[in-house]
Amino acid sequence: MMEKLEYLVNGAKYDAACTSSGADRKAEPGGIGSAVSGGCCHSFAADGRCISLLKVLMTNACIYDCAYCVNRRSNDIPRVTFTPEELAELTIQFYRRNYIEGLFLSSGVLRSPDYTMERMIRVVELLRVQYRFQGYIHAKTIPGASPELVWQLGVLADRLSVNIEFPSEQSLRQLAPDKTRQAILAPMGQMHQWMQGNRQALEIQAPAHRLPAARRAAPRFATAGQATQMIIGATPESDYQILRLAQGLYHKYELKRVFYSAYIPVLEHSLLPALDTKPPLLREHRLYQADFLLRQYHFAAEELLAPEAPNFNPYLDPKCNWALLHPEFFPIDVQRAGKETLLRVPGIGSRSATRIVAERRSVKLDFAALKRMGVVLKRAQYFILAADHPRGLHLPGETVARALIDPKIFAFGMEQLSLFSPGGLGLPGAGDVKNLREATEEAVLVMGRSAYA
Amino acid sequence: MREPVPRDVVYQYDGSLEGFYCCLFESLRRGELPAALEDAADAQPRLFAPVWIETDPAHALRVQRSIGEKIAPRALHLTETVFLSCLEEKELHLLHFLLRGWREGAGFLRRGWSDPQLALLLKAERHLAHEAHLLTGFVRFSDYDGHLAATITPKNFVLPFLAPHFAARYRGEHFMIFDKTHRAALIHQPGGSRIVAAEHIEFPAVSAEEARYRALWKHFYDTVAIEGRENPRCRMTHMAKRYWENMTELQPEKAPLPMIESGAEPAIL
Ligand code: SF4
Repeated sequence: MMEKLEYLVNGAKYDAACTSSGADRKAEPGGIGSAVSGGCCHSFAADGRCISLLKVLMTNACIYDCAYCVNRRSNDIPRVTFTPEELAELTIQFYRRNYIEGLFLSSGVLRSPDYTMERMIRVVELLRVQYRFQGYIHAKTIPGASPELVWQLGVLADRLSVNIEFPSEQSLRQLAPDKTRQAILAPMGQMHQWMQGNRQALEIQAPAHRLPAARRAAPRFATAGQATQMIIGATPESDYQILRLAQGLYHKYELKRVFYSAYIPVLEHSLLPALDTKPPLLREHRLYQADFLLRQYHFAAEELLAPEAPNFNPYLDPKCNWALLHPEFFPIDVQRAGKETLLRVPGIGSRSATRIVAERRSVKLDFAALKRMGVVLKRAQYFILAADHPRGLHLPGETVARALIDPKIFAFGMEQLSLFSPGGLGLPGAGDVKNLREATEEAVLVMGRSAYA
Repeated sequence: MREPVPRDVVYQYDGSLEGFYCCLFESLRRGELPAALEDAADAQPRLFAPVWIETDPAHALRVQRSIGEKIAPRALHLTETVFLSCLEEKELHLLHFLLRGWREGAGFLRRGWSDPQLALLLKAERHLAHEAHLLTGFVRFSDYDGHLAATITPKNFVLPFLAPHFAARYRGEHFMIFDKTHRAALIHQPGGSRIVAAEHIEFPAVSAEEARYRALWKHFYDTVAIEGRENPRCRMTHMAKRYWENMTELQPEKAPLPMIESGAEPAIL
């Protein structure tokens, strides 16, 4: 069992998933578990990532041959498979001890997509019906599986996802020859319809015996929505292309999350980065920041990046970069501006924006008050008007740029900078400088001159 | 209301919320503002003997009502939450807060974080809520013959905030969470939970089955981290070291745990 677990965790661990989900379910009498909508981290791994779910593959055997995957058919590794009973029992025992918030189940393709899905459904069915498990379940559907089975999995699980794998069709074709863009997007569209409650679109009866009693009358499909994931850094797409794709997926399919996974070379392949290439972690980080701005801060992909400058600024987070390039938008009067406007100020986050809007009717906001409310003045001060600074600070662009430099860049290190191609911004790349200090100094000069003049 | 006059006296009380309300009652009745309020359990040696305030439930109730009605329900909620927090000199801060509330009415509560005095209490409240939230994930139960038990060592008194979460999640189970810092335990049986004082709790020996799940979990934990991406600083910001002592997966490897294989596994490959 120990060895099995190791193989099947190793095969699944590069997948990102978290539970900040929107699933909110009370425990039912005689059952175990509940789901909380805010999400809950149960631990943090040595790599700093939140551990919330038992993230495993049902099997690491696979009939497909995706070039970037350790489980590919042509790779010579031992193959192991959980029985549905083993996996359900393991989930429950981990859950009772409060190790986990639920299960994140994915799988290699065993015999056929449908056969694999049947077994996955069996795991989830055991949990929901036999153990009456009310905790969170996220399952990954198998590309090419029949819609009936996707439906069955979806009424039992909280969230489903289909991985889009790569940001462009061409890359997918080259690296995952057994998968097609169509086989990925079709179920996404189908699931989107089901989630909106469009039962006509499905013409499928949920086999009632497979559902827990409480859900039989009105089965609902994946109430926590669907998500997807793509690998970045393995293929040549720009950040602009990736972000536009994510934005399109959010709009078209109302995805709850798009996850980005920095490619870690596991296999030698002529179309993939060499084995000693480092995963582009800083780039992945910038993508997550930008993704957050799309979902929570009302930004559009086209505001953050453009065809002429299609990649992120490694030195600044995307919001600061935007602010530096848009002096005409500032300064913002904190006493009057709407919440959406406040959210665009560097150093003001959603918590401090909410506090400002709630409290400013009873008080004139000065820098000291803003600071107590959680505003990071080091950044915000250049962009706002406050009671004690009615005309704002007018400082040289360099000073502003220096204050905005993302200190995380030093934690990521020089190596990450070298994985960037900040083309079009005129910024120093890794080849132009001796160390990070010098790189940021140079960047401050360039940004101060060109942007916030 | 007559403004109490600052005096160089220390009130001592039994550490309960009711006792604290009685200190307020006395302060108002005597028209004096004590220099400190202290829980008898952690009394400091002093030159002058502190004034002992007896807990009288009737007085406590009057104060509690007055906070809710004369100031605002939110003021009462904030008071009772901050009272469970680990804010230094919380009693004195609350005393000043409530005197201001009675003087100015509910209006000043709207100033929220922009007001220094309120910000201090709101911060203490948030610190407690945050710790409770973290612990809903970090609590680790062990199974002792069908009963689940866990130990925590929180800074704030979070058990009342953990109770509804775990009671809903494990409603059909028997479980206990022992708060070693505050010497109290949350005890749940199907049908209800309660919090009791508990000086010390002796845990029985760990069964082979329990050891097996611990080992599997630890192995999962070690495996799921992506090698080459170690980030101790990030792990530490999300999960402060002080929580580690009670978390199964972060215990140093002791004697090799018994590994029981589940016998013949159906081979489907
Ligand atoms: S389908 Fe492709 S990515 Fe998925 S397990 Fe098989 S080889 Fe790996």
